[in-house]
Amino acid sequence: MGEVVLEMKNIIKDFPGVRALNDVNFEARSGELLALMGENGAGKSTLMKVLSGVWPYPSYQGDIYLRGELKRFYNTKEAEAAGIAIIYQELNLIPDLTVAENIFLDRQMTNAFGAINWGKLFAETQRLLDELNITDFKPTDKVKDLTVGKQQLVEIAKALSKKADVLVFDEPTSALTDKEVAALFEIIRKLKRQGVCMSYISHKMEELQQIADRVVVLRDGKTIGDVTPIAEITLDQLISRMVGRDVKDMFPKGQFQRGEKVLEVKNFDIDNPDLPGQKKVKNACFCAYKGEILGISGLMGSGRTELVSGIFGAPPGPAHGEIYLDDKLVRFRSPHAAIEHGIGLVTEDRKRIGLILGQSIIQNMMISSLETVTNVLGIINQAKERNLAQDYVKRLSIKTPGLDVKIDTLSGGNQQKVILAKWLNIKPKVLILDEPTRGIDVGAKVEIYNLLNKLVEEGVTVIIISSELPEVMGISDRILVMCEGEIVAELTREQATKELIMAYATGSQK
Amino acid sequence: MANTAPTTEQPATGFLQSEGMRAFLKFLKDNGTLVALIALMFIFSLWDEAFFTPRNLTNLARQTTIVGIIAVGMTLVIIINGIDLSVGSIVGLAAIVVTLLMQSGVNIWAAILITLLLTGVLIGLWNALWIAHYNIPPFIITLGMMTIARGIALTLSDGGSVPVTDPVFGEIGGGFFSVMVSTIMVLLIFAYLLFSQYRDLKQKQQYGVTVKQQELITTGVVTLLAGAIVLYAFSYRGLPYPVAIFAVIAFIGSFTLQHTKFGRRIYAMGGNEEAARLSGISIKRMKIAIYCIITTLSALAGIMLASRLNGASPNLGNMFELDAISAVIIGGTSFSGGVGTIIGTVIGAFIISVLNNGMSLLEVPTFYQLIIKGGIIILAVWFDVLSKKKRG
Repeated sequence: MGEVVLEMKNIIKDFPGVRALNDVNFEARSGELLALMGENGAGKSTLMKVLSGVWPYPSYQGDIYLRGELKRFYNTKEAEAAGIAIIYQELNLIPDLTVAENIFLDRQMTNAFGAINWGKLFAETQRLLDELNITDFKPTDKVKDLTVGKQQLVEIAKALSKKADVLVFDEPTSALTDKEVAALFEIIRKLKRQGVCMSYISHKMEELQQIADRVVVLRDGKTIGDVTPIAEITLDQLISRMVGRDVKDMFPKGQFQRGEKVLEVKNFDIDNPDLPGQKKVKNACFCAYKGEILGISGLMGSGRTELVSGIFGAPPGPAHGEIYLDDKLVRFRSPHAAIEHGIGLVTEDRKRIGLILGQSIIQNMMISSLETVTNVLGIINQAKERNLAQDYVKRLSIKTPGLDVKIDTLSGGNQQKVILAKWLNIKPKVLILDEPTRGIDVGAKVEIYNLLNKLVEEGVTVIIISSELPEVMGISDRILVMCEGEIVAELTREQATKELIMAYATGSQK
Repeated sequence: MANTAPTTEQPATGFLQSEGMRAFLKFLKDNGTLVALIALMFIFSLWDEAFFTPRNLTNLARQTTIVGIIAVGMTLVIIINGIDLSVGSIVGLAAIVVTLLMQSGVNIWAAILITLLLTGVLIGLWNALWIAHYNIPPFIITLGMMTIARGIALTLSDGGSVPVTDPVFGEIGGGFFSVMVSTIMVLLIFAYLLFSQYRDLKQKQQYGVTVKQQELITTGVVTLLAGAIVLYAFSYRGLPYPVAIFAVIAFIGSFTLQHTKFGRRIYAMGGNEEAARLSGISIKRMKIAIYCIITTLSALAGIMLASRLNGASPNLGNMFELDAISAVIIGGTSFSGGVGTIIGTVIGAFIISVLNNGMSLLEVPTFYQLIIKGGIIILAVWFDVLSKKKRG
């Protein structure tokens, strides 16, 4: 066992209205892979941001030790200089530059006149790739021509080129094929032998058993238990550390009577605007009924988001096919039209396309349904508006100091509740939710599940996309599984198992 | 901190006590542009006694109206992250079109209506077609329209000026309500303003929003002060028609932004256009409406300018786009969208015309005036960036 390289002690990080990290303690050693596990919203990403200087000292409390030395990073550059590299889920590469330029971005070898020494740049990159046994691509390839898996390898090479000896992977395999995962693991093993200290964030148990040496669990911003060698802990023990409660309580499920067909999608295609001839969604056919929750599962990039955006009148490319609402053929040219027909969509990327940051809670909440509080001239009845908003705050127990505070100041869970209120107020017939619990604390998740159950009881058709298998299995009546743009399986609640869903989602079963 | 008492409903006991003083300082900080306007007026009054006379103040108000009306429209455009550079040329074009129409014997009111439709609505639709439908950046499209409109104005007028003979037309930009009528109108308006402040307070209390009494007193005092200045200014010849038109437009603009569906949507679009689209806002329709509003207001400004000057030249309105944008930015509307008020813009427009007017009175050479004006715009934007940083 190697020496302790990284130690994080009593880390606490507060955001307005929520404590994201609450006493995190662990240490990582050289030549090992420490798995950092936890549900979405457990605080893993926040922890990584503290480590990498994104949240600089002193915006957090607690101490970070690197090789026994207390470190305080005031910015990301300092963390980088200390040898810490984080490989994020979202890659930070510039698509139009070559592999070599990306790896040595801003550090290109130059001659006396400041011009780039291309020969040296490519040679140095090739040396780095050889060291990692990467033969699939060349230093001169453009990054945009590489698959996501290969781009990930570029990120790793970049980190190593900066002499990083603490590498953190943030869910690196979520978008990789099996072959790419195997290649990545091969490289991780090689780095282990070289004595690099690595940490790996993931939910995928099977993976971790293959590759991790020790594991530590994060829940609600706390480390639960000590760092434990992976061989000494069972799967059940791990899950109970992660969830902290019985899975049944986590996913309350109402008993509904399935009603008439509300939404039917037939032969729905969405072209890929970037790659002519390719499709983002292929021949999707499904129905959704009154009084049920329909789950959609699948890996990232399997076309789930594109499918529901397409139904909602905001497809990422030209869409073809038929949509029937209450047995009537409809064609939504814009979200505006979809909303008029009673369809709501809680988008996946809350910050970027869900919220209007910088504006108040009441503005965000009412923006889709101003008609409900205006007169014929479009003048807002303020008393009516505030009463309505206040009702939602109470009904969804949104924790906020008032209706006029900026939405930015709320925690993720409360922001999501404001968005739910926005869609509830259009009185939806069909409510589609794309990863509605991502980055939300466990308590708020359960509240959202309860709310969805209640909506179904009231006759709303709910469609939910989720990457978390326990979630989608726990609350759906039926589950569609998507793989590479196609709906490859429709499973009932009883049929669905994690293994089966994964097999369909990865394409290993058809 | 000496006084940390909870915020609501404490009788104000003497204005200079810490609580009152703090509210006053906070007011200064939150209303930088208003304070700047008052300070500027104060400085110019001390410097030159001709500045703070009813006659000069009346002139100053009239000078503000043309750019002010355009700036109201520009506020909407800049809130949605857009820009319209064609407004100055539209002023020139509208002035030429309306005067030419009248010269050819068209009835005044028909001429005005046709001008508003042709040089306002139609050009707005054209701009919006490219911006909203073909997604061309508004900067480029309106830059093109700036040249096109000026070119049309020069072509129509053959490069010369067009006189106006009808005295009724001159009244629009040059007439006054009598002092008596103006006084009653001003009194009524300011009474309404005070009343609405009181009503807002009551409403806010009802919704549990805490309001500092001292803050309220400060706004009340400022309102009264403004009322007094306005009454004093219009004791010269009364309320000028163009100022009344500007006031009505500014009021409608402000009300629309704060209290209507349309206004809410404008802010939402400026804050996050994609989120607004996915919330069911029809971005295209909104853009068409907004770009038509600003061109129509610019056409109106052009008509009023032709009326005040009793004639038109094709070069009227040159560089007005810059003054209008400056007024909006000085007034606190953010260039990054989603933030801004009409009242801020009105104050911004007055700052610009106080500077113009004051510097002319002091006989500051025009060249220096340009330099000073530019400097102030940069200062205002710097202040905006600074205050945003502080807020995090």
